[in-house]
Amino acid sequence: MQPVNLFDLATRQSQWLAVRQSAIASNIANANTPGYTANDVEPFEKVLDRTAVTLAATQAGHLGAEKSNAGFNVKPKEATGSIMPSKNTVVLEDELMKAGEVRRSFELNTAIVKAFHSMMTMVVKS
Amino acid sequence: MDALTAALKVAASGLGAQSERLRVVSENLANAQSTGNTPGADPYRRKTITFQSELDRTSGGSLVEVSSIARDPSDFPIEFQPGNEAADEKGYVKMPNVNALVEMADMSEANRSYEANLQVIKQARDLISMTIDLMRNQQ
Amino acid sequence: MIGGIGALQFKPAIDGAEAASPGLLQSGVGTQASESVGSSFAEVLSHAATKTVNTLQNAEQMSIQALKGDADTRQVVDAVLSAQQALQTTIAIRDKVVSAYLEISRMSI
Repeated sequence: MQPVNLFDLATRQSQWLAVRQSAIASNIANANTPGYTANDVEPFEKVLDRTAVTLAATQAGHLGAEKSNAGFNVKPKEATGSIMPSKNTVVLEDELMKAGEVRRSFELNTAIVKAFHSMMTMVVKS
Repeated sequence: MDALTAALKVAASGLGAQSERLRVVSENLANAQSTGNTPGADPYRRKTITFQSELDRTSGGSLVEVSSIARDPSDFPIEFQPGNEAADEKGYVKMPNVNALVEMADMSEANRSYEANLQVIKQARDLISMTIDLMRNQQ
Repeated sequence: MIGGIGALQFKPAIDGAEAASPGLLQSGVGTQASESVGSSFAEVLSHAATKTVNTLQNAEQMSIQALKGDADTRQVVDAVLSAQQALQTTIAIRDKVVSAYLEISRMSI
């Protein structure tokens, strides 16, 4: 179900960004590991489209890895371009670019939360 | 463990792995001319390093670790050096199977990966800091 | 959500202003002129409040779009800044109106 509340949406997006950051970290750390396939989270729009029921089911289940992934699906992405003989599909530049996007989105996210929070306290204070 | 801390842990394991790789490269380069001591003896054999990924239970991230440091099984190149103490009766010496160019290329790759892991650590640390900053500076 | 907060805070102030100004002017001037002046002041206030609420809602919409991932950063920043400015202005007006009302109510008749 779509979160209509601004702060809820911001929290959800920051969780998604954190999971994406850890997927990027795993990819970069394993850039030279033979047979390793690069992972990425499902897009944020897909997350929003899912119903609340499905989300609850995913979270109620597993422990460990799934718990830190906050219910987001982290899947290996298909290899595009050339396949290395070591079957490693990590492209370092792509991972660094994704990391830059994560950073920008995260900064926007915290800035929006800060601004609206200050507006709300402004109204109450007098 | 939340995802950002997991990212820190994973990137730290990457730093460790790339450091090991650099250590192996420097050993190979340092011993590129190390022949044996007795006639016909084998020289220094090039070392190779292999990584493997390991899924960490607590963090959910794929840590990287060194699976093995093995020896390169390729043949030793032979040079004609009659004066060398490792020369056989015909005067040929077996030299280490280390190619300096290959090692240098490996070293610059290891540096690049090391830098990338370092960037991940910086970014994860900054993101955590930004989140905590939300609470600060409120009148 | 933001609109809700805005509406809650401003309605009593605006109602108070509407109640105060016609009453104040009627006592001094003729009824005809005072009614038109008093109602237009209240109109101006309520118009300003509506504009603020609209600005706030626009900022909220743009921010939600930005969080979903497809909005121009500069537009979002502009919308949020305008909302903050409008909000501060309206709060200042509200405070002044309330203090003016209190001052008037303290005046001996």
